[in-house]
Order: sequence, then structure tokens, then C-alpha cells
Amino acid sequence: MERRKFLGFGLAAIAAMPAIVSAKDERKEKPDAWTAKTEKDAIEKLYGTITPVEKGVKVKAPKVASNGGQIPVTVKSDIEAKSVAVFQNVNPEKLVAVFDVPEGQPVDFSFKIKMKKSGTITAIVEGKDGKYYKGAQTLEVALGGCEG
Amino acid sequence: MKLKAKAKGDLVQVKAMLKHDMLTYDQAKKKGKEANFITHITGKANGKVVFDMSTSQFLSKNPLIKFKFKGAKKGDEFELSWVDLKGNTKSKKVKIK
Repeated sequence: MERRKFLGFGLAAIAAMPAIVSAKDERKEKPDAWTAKTEKDAIEKLYGTITPVEKGVKVKAPKVASNGGQIPVTVKSDIEAKSVAVFQNVNPEKLVAVFDVPEGQPVDFSFKIKMKKSGTITAIVEGKDGKYYKGAQTLEVALGGCEG
Repeated sequence: MKLKAKAKGDLVQVKAMLKHDMLTYDQAKKKGKEANFITHITGKANGKVVFDMSTSQFLSKNPLIKFKFKGAKKGDEFELSWVDLKGNTKSKKVKIK
């Protein structure tokens, strides 16, 4: 059994290699993560079972958002990252975006998202050290932005 | 697409406004349209990928993104491109200011 696992891992590593050179489409690589209905499930589908440390990741969003269709979010971190995933816990699916951070690039992203109602935005940073870090921000949404 | 790239020290700051309806599945159902949204955004400077974002339907309509990257200077070319669920693509090139 162990041997079989080892072989499988080797094959996966070879298959993953060409992806490093060019841009990576996480939607094709991990399609299940994008349709997961709970945050926990989405994280598991993306990174496996992890216990992120709650430090070093800053998620900035307004405490009260008047328009749920245009919520400005900033994710910042000084950690040398491999990837950053952003989740919220109120929309039908929970994964918002995944950034693949190219070698040595800083983590400083701002973007606008939609949220159905008040909830929490969570960002998980996959560090180059193989550890996971987490930051979150809870906010109130006055007018939901998903029904449009 | 509106795109600006400005060099600041050893970092380049990029601001982009993408034109897209970003229709979620729920919104599309109500409007009787098909859902469609940007699924991937890539930024390249001097032929190298410096920004890579896989996105979902929960980005706002006409999404605005801002980010910083290293490894380019004033006068270099920066290109941002996106692809949506239906396979439409768009890209734009600017000179870094």
C-alpha cells in the first residue's frame, strides 16, 4: 500500500511540472474547490486538511458595507507565499479567488467582491515554508449583492 | 479595460478595471440569461508571469483589481489578460509609467 502511494505521488509530481512554467488555472486544477458549499470543504478541496496559523495575514474590508455588490477587499502579507486563497462564508459557493504568487512576488491584492449578506472574509496564505497562515475580517452587509 | 501600471521604487503598482457583467448563477437565473464571469486573470511583464488569479462569480460587476509586483521598471511593457467561462478573452498592453 505504501509503495503504491509513493508511485502515485511521483506521477502526480511529474504531471504537475509543466504547470509551474506557465500560468496556472486553479479552476481546472481543482474544480471541486469552486463548487464546494461550505468553507471547510472548499479549503479541504484546495489544500487538503490543514490547520492554518492565525498570523501574518491582513484582510482589510469595511466594517459595514452599504452595497454588497461592491465590497472592497485588500489582502496583504509579508510572508513569502506560494498561493493565496480568499473565501467568504455567505454566498452559495464559498471560494472567491485564488492567487498563484509567482516566485518572489509580494502579497498585496485589492479587489471588489459580492456578498449576499453579513459574513466573514477569510484569506489563507500558503507559505513557501509549507505552512499555512490565515487572516479574517467580519463585516456587516446592509444590502446583499448577489440577487442583483 | 482600463489599465495603469506605475513604477514606485522597485515595485510596480497596477490598477485595472475590467468590463464584465460577472453574472452569478443566481443572477443569471433571475434574468433568464446564462451565467458568465471572468475565471482567470494573468499579468505579464517582459514575457514573465507576475500575477496570476483564478476567480469566481463573486467578484463585483466590472471588477476592479489592484496589485504590486517586482521585476520591471519604467518603460517596460505590462500586459493583462482575462478569460471568462464562455472562453472569451481580452487583453491589454501598457507601458509602465
